[in-house]
Amino acid sequence: MISSSVEYQKKELPAKVQAIGLSLLIVGLLIVVLGYIVNPERSAYNNIIGLTFLISIAVGSLFFVAIEFLSGAVWSTPFRRVGEFLSSTVWVLPLLFIPLLLNVNTIFHWTHPAPSDKTLIDKAPYLNVSFFVVRVIGFWLIWLLFYYLMIRNSRKQDQTKDQYLTKKNIKLSAIFMPLFALTISFTAIDWLMSIEPHWFSTIFGVYYFSGTILTALAVGAIFIVLLNERGFFVKGIHTDSYYSLGALIFAFTNFWAYIAFSQFLLIWYANLPEETFWFLARWEGNWKFFSVGLIVVHFLVPYVGLLSQPSKMNPKRLIYMSGWILFAHYYDLYWLVMPNFFKEGIPFSWIELGFPLLIAGLIILVFYYQAKRNNLVPIGDPKLKRGIDFRL
Amino acid sequence: MSGKILYSYTGIFDTPDEIIHAAEAAVKQGYTKYDVNTPYPLHGMNKVMKLPASKLGYVALIFGLSGTLGALLSLWWVSAIDYPLVIGGKPFFSFPAYIPVIFEVTVLSAAIATVLAMLFFFFKLPNNAHPLHATDYMKKVSNDKYGIVIQAEDPRFDEISVRKFLESVHAKEINAVYWAEDEITHKHKIFEPKFLIFLLVVVIITSGTTYFTLNKLMFMLPFNWMMEQQKQNPQQKSLVFDDGFGMRKPVEGTIARGFLPYEFNGQPDLAGEKLINPIPISKESLQLGQTKYDIYCSPCHGYQGEGNSRLRGQFPNPPSLHSEKVRTWSDGRIFAVLTDGQNIMPSYTTQLSVDERWAVINYVRALQRALNAKESDLK
Amino acid sequence: MSTVDYTREVSVLEGKHALRELDDLIAKPLETKPDKKFYIALAITLSMTGLFVLGLVLTFYYGIGMWGNNVPVAWAFDIVNFVFWVGIGHAGTLISAILFLFRQKWRTGIARFAEGMTVFAVMTAGLFPLIHVGRPWLAGYLFPYPNQHSVWVNFTSPLLWDVFAVSTYLTVSLIFWYVGLIPDLATLRERTNHKIKKVIYSVFSLGWRFSNRHWQHYEMVYLILAGFATPLVLSVHTIVSFDFAVSVIPGWHTTIFPPYFVAGAVFSGFAMVQNVLIIVRKIFNYEHIITVDTLEKMNKIMLVTGSMVGYAYAMEFFISWYSGVEAERFVFLNRALGPYAWAYWIMVICNVVSPQLFWFKKIRRAIPVMFVIAIFVNIGMWFERFVIIVTSLSRDFLPSSWAYYTPTLVDGMILIGSFGFFFTWILLFTKALPVVSMAEVKAVVDGAQPSHKDH
Repeated sequence: MISSSVEYQKKELPAKVQAIGLSLLIVGLLIVVLGYIVNPERSAYNNIIGLTFLISIAVGSLFFVAIEFLSGAVWSTPFRRVGEFLSSTVWVLPLLFIPLLLNVNTIFHWTHPAPSDKTLIDKAPYLNVSFFVVRVIGFWLIWLLFYYLMIRNSRKQDQTKDQYLTKKNIKLSAIFMPLFALTISFTAIDWLMSIEPHWFSTIFGVYYFSGTILTALAVGAIFIVLLNERGFFVKGIHTDSYYSLGALIFAFTNFWAYIAFSQFLLIWYANLPEETFWFLARWEGNWKFFSVGLIVVHFLVPYVGLLSQPSKMNPKRLIYMSGWILFAHYYDLYWLVMPNFFKEGIPFSWIELGFPLLIAGLIILVFYYQAKRNNLVPIGDPKLKRGIDFRL
Repeated sequence: MSGKILYSYTGIFDTPDEIIHAAEAAVKQGYTKYDVNTPYPLHGMNKVMKLPASKLGYVALIFGLSGTLGALLSLWWVSAIDYPLVIGGKPFFSFPAYIPVIFEVTVLSAAIATVLAMLFFFFKLPNNAHPLHATDYMKKVSNDKYGIVIQAEDPRFDEISVRKFLESVHAKEINAVYWAEDEITHKHKIFEPKFLIFLLVVVIITSGTTYFTLNKLMFMLPFNWMMEQQKQNPQQKSLVFDDGFGMRKPVEGTIARGFLPYEFNGQPDLAGEKLINPIPISKESLQLGQTKYDIYCSPCHGYQGEGNSRLRGQFPNPPSLHSEKVRTWSDGRIFAVLTDGQNIMPSYTTQLSVDERWAVINYVRALQRALNAKESDLK
Repeated sequence: MSTVDYTREVSVLEGKHALRELDDLIAKPLETKPDKKFYIALAITLSMTGLFVLGLVLTFYYGIGMWGNNVPVAWAFDIVNFVFWVGIGHAGTLISAILFLFRQKWRTGIARFAEGMTVFAVMTAGLFPLIHVGRPWLAGYLFPYPNQHSVWVNFTSPLLWDVFAVSTYLTVSLIFWYVGLIPDLATLRERTNHKIKKVIYSVFSLGWRFSNRHWQHYEMVYLILAGFATPLVLSVHTIVSFDFAVSVIPGWHTTIFPPYFVAGAVFSGFAMVQNVLIIVRKIFNYEHIITVDTLEKMNKIMLVTGSMVGYAYAMEFFISWYSGVEAERFVFLNRALGPYAWAYWIMVICNVVSPQLFWFKKIRRAIPVMFVIAIFVNIGMWFERFVIIVTSLSRDFLPSSWAYYTPTLVDGMILIGSFGFFFTWILLFTKALPVVSMAEVKAVVDGAQPSHKDH
């Protein structure tokens, strides 16, 4: 069965998408720049949140492209390009981490440990500026490399329809996986855990991973459902194909809650001061409400919203829940980062709005740009027909 | 087979597509009391038969949530109300620690309730007395064929038209199925008296065994081995000591708690030379001394130490503490008197601890000074 | 090597099979008398079980002193075996429930057997917490019933969470297994002419009639049970990991334990399932149902979960250094270089190194090699629990309390005997119940489902 029986008509995304993306980007950029002038430290913390949020989307989307190849899944094949386009945001990551790398000394306490702080000085072989910079850039290059190789094969296949390219991508995906696991974990440790350098948790990498997966799924789902309902993909895709999206989002919501709970319970139970202080800081002042809110926002709402079988296939429900999950992941990163900046309570002002707007604009623009230059459907993929015919 | 009551007509098909068509046709024909039997579920059959979605999901939800709530309430009551214990320094109601148990109970109750509901209420199983059992139809349909059953109860049922219908959908082997004698009067077995009595017997036996095990068996050998231990119990004859007493006197030279060894027994003058009062004169020590003096010393020596106490008039009189002799005694010498006793005065080691004796001595000094004050003291 | 055609869906079963043929093949062991090989195998497992019983009798009569346990190593083989067997059980639930939720059709050939293994593994595992207490006959005290002491069990203790978790797991696994068995028992009921067998099958099949009105609810309940069994499996081994992680012992108190233990359990479980399945498919001629494709997929899962375990090792090691806590840093040096280094390196080689061979397709599809690798994995995972429990206990905070633990003969009898106990049940299972799910396998044969799906 050759996929030449699939009819794909490349439809251009409406120009207003570009307009929306551009305006969000400009407004966001303005706020960010202003924020840096007015309060550089606070902006730097917001920058970290923005950076880790975008890494979640960029590298998480690449992860999903890889997983599709590795697992041989077919339901996602018609939509895979969405993941590919989203993962191209990996190109813009330096925009977000270069200002931070130039500012490392103000953000991270481990850059200037007090001479009496033996623990911190002991960590210097890992927590020092040069190694940090090497890691940030090195991880970025690794992600870029795999993005480039896998997406190049995928695009080539549009023309050649060569099944061997699928095999190559499967091999690349397999090699990517362990690298992904390590780079994403150390990214989390470097940018998020080392803000409080006295604290440590072995599950932290997995925690960030769970949020990353959810976010990548959510942002992918938004684009997929919005575009599919407006006929940008191929004819014949059934709502059954949405089911897996909804089911995965539901499953990973549970997974996030499980990881978050494990981390909390073990530290709460053993009650060791060298570990509990981190959670206690998130119970100070207003932060206690924010912490309880995290459970509601990140677990209860998506759980109830996606529990029933029909809800997992409903396009409207999927879009709302996915949007909510993006908010939840930002909320989560905020909860991880901001208590270090402002111990008494929740800081919120116009400065905090800068990065979300900037990133939203970036994503939309990048997606628009990619959709303009490439097919939205991998027309050369051998699994495409099976993907379109997919039924539960 | 005359006189037998007709249950249904059955038709056998060889392929899944055929049975799907047959089911579609049956729905179109307007049959409602019909069924399809397949060795495994066929995709799309539910839609074709226009079956409403199964409600068992709600059963799972309701029972699961009841399990959650029940577990949460029980854990709260047990830990915060009935027998609160401080465990690991955590609060009585330590919710994070309850989550694992609550979760397990939720899953358990949901799973058991859903399966039992499905089997007993939705399927009305167990039921081994159905007319379709032990027919050739059932043999085929449990193996590799697909079948359709049109029940005689259906309002549109009519033997000839049903036969015609089955032929029209190309059924192979069209057969009639009749009720067997015992199946006609079949009632749901769960509520039958025999079964209920059986359940009652099981309950009685289970509870009786549990009671016997927990209240009687656990106190019999060999399960009560820890009740007979090789240790020395109070009042028990000792197998170790000759006199048979388990309880022994303390070893010579044993000192009670709070007491220090006193080396000057019978040598009050030596004590007077060697012992120094370690308690400085302070408000606290004088108050302590006063309290103790008033309790223990005043019955004989009087409240002001003049010997004019309530026991006055006996022989020998308690002496005044303001005599030249006592005033020139060192603190340590007085301590020796308190510790060893003197003449008819007993030892006060059991009533006054070492510190208290020194405090009393401080107080006595204060009393002595009060009665022999110098003019400079008035300033 | 033939290249894969991605436009085609890979058949679950090899070759074309008539449904009747499948029924005959799967029901054959139940309809024939056991042969000499079966009796020899049973004799072996029963003797091992005899060792088990002997070890337990000695333990009950003389007390836990018959084991090598002593302060500081108060938990040793007993808990290592407990965690090991619970872990083995998880593969079964993963295959039945999680692969079902992911709609992986290749699970149909192996799900029944794997679920059976789960039930037996959890039964074996459940024995260990019972026997490792000083007075096993008071095990009833573990359950929160109103009593004359007016005391309740300690609900904040992970040991009690274990009681709830393992009992729930056993119950739900049994229920799930049984629900899957109902249609097959009905098929067997219709096939048999033997009077007693017919009664037994009739009773246990509950009179199942293969009605589609029933199938509809059945499928929903199967989905619900799978949906519950999945978090249940995760929760059970998570709670087992909490036994260690809630403490303050270095090497035990680390937040990554829950997912690490779950991944490790799936890893070891799949290794055991793969080993036993290779033997079963050969003996019963199920090679076309339990295909090399299926085995290859299982090996891939072993590679994935083995890598997760390797990740956890690396992360634990890194963070123990990063933490700066001297006791933590010592633990990992001690594991690799201390008196138990031999156990540590066995573990690393078996768990991290050997499954990496599964990167190579040739090895993934070569039965003798994969069999050996899976055995190594089982050994490695047993040693992983040994290393975690014994090394951390034998050298914790106070050097004056350090001691070296040695197992006794009775420890060994109980370990070997537990395998005998487990395999005896498996052998009996192969002769009493269909080890492959007839209904599920028939449903995924080519041509088993109607061709037009859009209605």
